[in-house]
Amino acid sequence: MTLATPLLQRPAEAPLAWLSLGLNGLPVPSNGQHISNSQFLSHVWRVAKTLPSENYAINVCDNRYLFLVAAWAVIVRKQTNLLPPNTNASTQESLSKLYQGSYIIHDGAAECSDSVDAINIAQLDWSLSDHIGELPQVELNHAAIISFTSGSTGEPKPNVKSWRTLQESSRINARYMLPNDSDVFYHLATVPGQHMWGLETSVLLPVFANACLVDARPMYPHDILSLLTVLPEPRALIGTPLHLRALSGTQKLTQGSAPSLSNVLCATAPLDQALAREFESRFSTSLREVYGCSEVGSMSVRRTAQTDVWTKFSGLNFGQEDGGKTRVTADHLPASILLEDSLNMVNEDQFKLSGRASDQIKIAGKRGSLFEVNSVLMKFEGVQDGVVFFPPQDRPVPRLVALVCLRDGFSKDALREHFRKYLDSAFVPRPIYVVDALPREENGKLNKAKLQSFYKSLSVG
Amino acid sequence: MSNQTPAEAALAELLVEVLNLEDIEPEEIKPEELLFGEGLGLDSIDALEIALAIAQEHGVEIKAEDEGTKEAFATLRSLNAFVEQHK
Repeated sequence: MTLATPLLQRPAEAPLAWLSLGLNGLPVPSNGQHISNSQFLSHVWRVAKTLPSENYAINVCDNRYLFLVAAWAVIVRKQTNLLPPNTNASTQESLSKLYQGSYIIHDGAAECSDSVDAINIAQLDWSLSDHIGELPQVELNHAAIISFTSGSTGEPKPNVKSWRTLQESSRINARYMLPNDSDVFYHLATVPGQHMWGLETSVLLPVFANACLVDARPMYPHDILSLLTVLPEPRALIGTPLHLRALSGTQKLTQGSAPSLSNVLCATAPLDQALAREFESRFSTSLREVYGCSEVGSMSVRRTAQTDVWTKFSGLNFGQEDGGKTRVTADHLPASILLEDSLNMVNEDQFKLSGRASDQIKIAGKRGSLFEVNSVLMKFEGVQDGVVFFPPQDRPVPRLVALVCLRDGFSKDALREHFRKYLDSAFVPRPIYVVDALPREENGKLNKAKLQSFYKSLSVG
Repeated sequence: MSNQTPAEAALAELLVEVLNLEDIEPEEIKPEELLFGEGLGLDSIDALEIALAIAQEHGVEIKAEDEGTKEAFATLRSLNAFVEQHK
């Protein structure tokens, strides 16, 4: 039985990365710069040598290539990468308190806490050379990465990813996410490498499968399109419904000049079927929507333009629990995971999603709890009565709504400021309506339907 | 009471519409008030929504690599100036 596997497990001749951004000592031509396996390994060693003998590296590198080099250097040194849910200095401080012996590794782009030791790897020499010597081996049970989910109050929750988990889940992902295994796909992503979705698709597939990493993270349609025109083919685009919708709606495309896209991967929020169809036809491509969660990673896939049925990845087992919940187990996962969503199995390998437990909300790919947000509202001293809820909305990024009765002398602005202080920005209610009273029942409860119609009467007027 | 120019007023109306700012009247947005963080409290999701709306309404494409994109997003006034300049 193998207890360790090589640091790099991919075709030797395929380019590992394609850079669009220049680095210290490595200017990049306008048509990009390829990085080979061997050049990547030499970069990994260069960074590994500069790392302190600590336990944890809070990896906040913004450039996707530097993020990967840093992550692999940390693993070579038998240390663990901590991937914070956001780039706030306060989050780095709380992580460094929870994880003894941690330091920050960054590339100059992120805000860094003053009270935690930090290494800026952008200043190193990034000129190209080939790695000479053995390929390092990594123990399968090494805790390579701990990713954190934020929750609505920003309290980070850890998900430990062992080397084995990274390796096995990437092999499964490659089987379902890459159209075939003979071509190297250039993976351009609009999402950061630190978050699970971006990590699995834009960082791990390039090191464990037949994909090539692209350093940039374009957000606006214009930036995505201009990168796509210089990116070698075949190209894959990785994003979210929000990015795909913006790209599909841009006027730059109306002249019928869509660059070729061989594969599109979308996750983090439900994708509208009409948008999936429009996107596929505009780019003459196939769009795979992926469903997953931070604890497990990607779990299933569907061609949204054609079907609403998800196909489960083989290697994962879905067990039905009492109360209709689903428990996920897999050989490569350290523990079983109870899913927040309700799944209706169509057959052994396929299912439909039928909503989530009512307290659980998901906004802009972030998962939170209505209960927690309401507790934050009640902590505001100026609130007399109030509720935060999540009405059905026909919007690409739905938001929470707050209805509040305020005490004299307290303003809506002060409440908004209070929310901003305690909540991730995605969960700050918008709109906030100040009302005289809430439509409570005699027993004090709020009826969902009544609340909806009360809110409607406010928003129309 | 508002010192928005007519073009700024139209842009304010667009922002309120696309960003679900239904508890704010367009004329309440002060031209020099910060749109992100403090002030109106918009976030990066909103930036993308605004970019899309401006592209559709005015045909102005916003790109991150442009000098001045960040400055353009500072206030209603700077955003309007950016749109006027690139129309």
